[in-house]
Amino acid sequence: MSAGSSYASSKLESDRVPDKFPVGMKVLLVDDDLTCLAVVKRMLLHCQYDVTTCSEATRALSLLRENKGAFDLIISDVHMPDMDGFRLLELVGLEMDLPVIMMSGDTRFNVVMKGVSHGACDFLTKPVRMEELQNIWQHVVRRKWLDFKEIERSGSVEEADLSRQVTDDSEYASTVNDGIDCSWKYQKKKRDAKEEDDNELDNIDPSSSKKPRVVWSVELHQQFVNAVNQLGIDKAVPKRILELMNVPGLTRENVASHLQKFRLYLKRLSGVAQHHTGLNSSLYGASSNAKVGQLGRFDFQALAVSGQISPETLAALQDELLGHPPCNLAMPAIEQPVLQQASVQQNNSVTFERGIAFGQPLLKGQAVSSFPVWPTNDLGALGSASNLGGLNTSQNSNMLVTMLQQPQPQTVPSESNHAINVQRSCLVNPAKSSNKFQVQGNPMHINQDSKIISSQSSANFQAGNAVVPVIQDSVVVTSHSSTSLKTGSNLFVTNHRSTILPSQSLTGISLGNDSGLLKQGSIIVPSQPLNSNQAGSNSILSSQNSMVVPSHLSGSLRTDKNIIPITHNSSLNNSSLLVNYNRLPTQSNVMPSSMKHVVDNLAAIDSFSVPVSMNSQVLSSTGSSTSWQLHSTDISISHPNGTHCLVPSSCNIEATDRLLVKLPDKGPGKNLGFVGKVGHFRVDIVLPQVSSDLKKVSFGWRHISWH
Amino acid sequence: MALASHRHISSCLCSIHSSLCYSTRPEMERSSLQRQLANLKKSLFDQGNLDEQFDQLEELQDDASPNFVEEVVTLFFRDSSRLVANIEQAIEKSPRDYGSLDALVHQLKDSASSIGAAKMMKECTVFREYCDKRNLEGCLRSFQKVKKEHSTLRLKLENYFQLLRQVGPAEKATRSGN
Repeated sequence: MSAGSSYASSKLESDRVPDKFPVGMKVLLVDDDLTCLAVVKRMLLHCQYDVTTCSEATRALSLLRENKGAFDLIISDVHMPDMDGFRLLELVGLEMDLPVIMMSGDTRFNVVMKGVSHGACDFLTKPVRMEELQNIWQHVVRRKWLDFKEIERSGSVEEADLSRQVTDDSEYASTVNDGIDCSWKYQKKKRDAKEEDDNELDNIDPSSSKKPRVVWSVELHQQFVNAVNQLGIDKAVPKRILELMNVPGLTRENVASHLQKFRLYLKRLSGVAQHHTGLNSSLYGASSNAKVGQLGRFDFQALAVSGQISPETLAALQDELLGHPPCNLAMPAIEQPVLQQASVQQNNSVTFERGIAFGQPLLKGQAVSSFPVWPTNDLGALGSASNLGGLNTSQNSNMLVTMLQQPQPQTVPSESNHAINVQRSCLVNPAKSSNKFQVQGNPMHINQDSKIISSQSSANFQAGNAVVPVIQDSVVVTSHSSTSLKTGSNLFVTNHRSTILPSQSLTGISLGNDSGLLKQGSIIVPSQPLNSNQAGSNSILSSQNSMVVPSHLSGSLRTDKNIIPITHNSSLNNSSLLVNYNRLPTQSNVMPSSMKHVVDNLAAIDSFSVPVSMNSQVLSSTGSSTSWQLHSTDISISHPNGTHCLVPSSCNIEATDRLLVKLPDKGPGKNLGFVGKVGHFRVDIVLPQVSSDLKKVSFGWRHISWH
Repeated sequence: MALASHRHISSCLCSIHSSLCYSTRPEMERSSLQRQLANLKKSLFDQGNLDEQFDQLEELQDDASPNFVEEVVTLFFRDSSRLVANIEQAIEKSPRDYGSLDALVHQLKDSASSIGAAKMMKECTVFREYCDKRNLEGCLRSFQKVKKEHSTLRLKLENYFQLLRQVGPAEKATRSGN
């Protein structure tokens, strides 16, 4: 009774023979509703398509990625539990450029509009009817047609034409298929010279631009993103991108259309991202290296899942990461999965993918993860760079955090890196060096930096997710060193560095997981050491550095939790001082008069907040990242006892300020911190702008002595 | 003579007739079954339990997958029972969470639409409207209706398939009136 039946019969009977196309067209069907899946599958089989079904979007994505040429068309449901259908649509469009048809029982205008804006070829209403499915081959043909166009210009146009237009609904008129058949086959087999098609080609317009169909593979896309980052998202014009990419066979039009998609994609991301800045902080959990290690794995998985990373990369990363278990990175790895999910779900926080920390040497070169370029600064995505400068590799992970943000693999290693500004989380950049990147995920800002970072290094990554603006560095960071890493997961992190750090040192690595970190570095730290690093991961980080620390000092490590790090660095200082955190009087203004912090060595302070114990005295730590900005005043910090003082790291966070903190002599003093004498230094601490960060950190002033 | 022969003939005829009757009984039974089947189907449609989507499903059935419709329907009931239970739970635990209720009902509705369970779809739509208006009372009432329709449909379709099996795999019920 229904047309379907008549169709079916007619199709089956009359057109079976000549009608080769679209017979055998490979369709991937994705829907979490098993009933609907079974019904639509049967219908497609009835149309003589070749159907593969999938009830999970994530699995579908991995199927698609593994077998690039295996499918011609994708039909996907809109509402799915593990991934939004529109997101799947976007990913497919960007990575594989296959036609995708959306299905839903919900046909409200905004839903359909969303489909269109995400690039869907068509939108079917559930319950799906046979007649509707009969025509879906036209989408495949249409796409291929463009590709073919240029090819083969040889001779008969007929060959290429795919488009046979199907004028009437009765699909499959027998004439139609011949032509299509050709094209179809062409696709598959590079054309056999079929001349048979009876010219039906109708409107094929030979003059249209021919562009070979370009498959935007992960590597190609990364190159694209790199090029865009280099130029700056606003200034990226197809012509220049094309030049930078320098890929033979790629035409300006290909780049232009891809750029358009990319821009839309970013826009969507940034819209989302802004909302979720805060998300991450919660995600980040304790920092700790352990996390990092875990995360690494996690990340990988997450990444893998998200498809952000290509399988090989992932594997590579995984190796790396796993190889260095201790990574210190505290990369923000936050539960990736969490993030992932979050991001996946609609709007979720920004793409999550945040940071993934990778272990060092990450990929060589590529960094996976592409980070979408943020409209604002472009971030280059991090590239994984080899370990960070400073950091030792080994363990410390070099964290690379790649942030993956939305899928876009990018690796942008840029060298120059400038500090990445990441603004938004985006990361990073690294300068060469791999530095780390930060990946940050999270929206955060970081930004950072801006400044130079010289040297390589560093990168900082900040990984961080979460909010944290890490910023790192900004400022100078000289020397490689990198610094600063901040990983931070959440919260602040901060920067690190900033300020100079001479020497490598990493400075700061802030690992932070949450909490800020660090800062690391900030301030100078002469000499390296530092490193900070944090080494260790974990912990630490406190920044180490922050301040000055002469000698490495690492002091300050604040390690958050974990470890107390510090020290590791040894030397000097002893133990790091940790900083205590001081509560700063709100940001702004800082600090009241100079802060003096006294730093005690503290043992690690736990992450901020805590003014840890340090013994009495103030400590201030600058803890956490946050840089407060103090202006003026020279503060000398010193402990009344003469013990160490803590110097706040100066972090500058963003902003201006640079700090410099110099700690008065450092003296080994007992304690960390700098010690020493009283001197005065000026600490500029810039308070982070993000207030959320502050929340996390609580500082307490214990006592400040002033000289 | 004629009479006798007549009688004879008639008896012959009778016997023939009766033998004929015997041989056709199975057919007769089958055709009565078929009629029953057709009637049942008709009633399902007339009462709005099913719609033309169901017809489409039947058309999809062929030699290659002779029990397609039954399989799909079974699948549907399995899935939908789970969904119904989820909705029930959601209502008990967090009845004010209209957003997630709505999502669950949407899923149920989509599922139902795939097999053409028209009445269920309608009830689901009503349910969703109550969700939109955040009318808990209305939601509960319409949910009861959804459940009722769900079980009614299930029973009726079970009967239907049973009959279908009796009638024989090769026979397809003729569509009545649709």
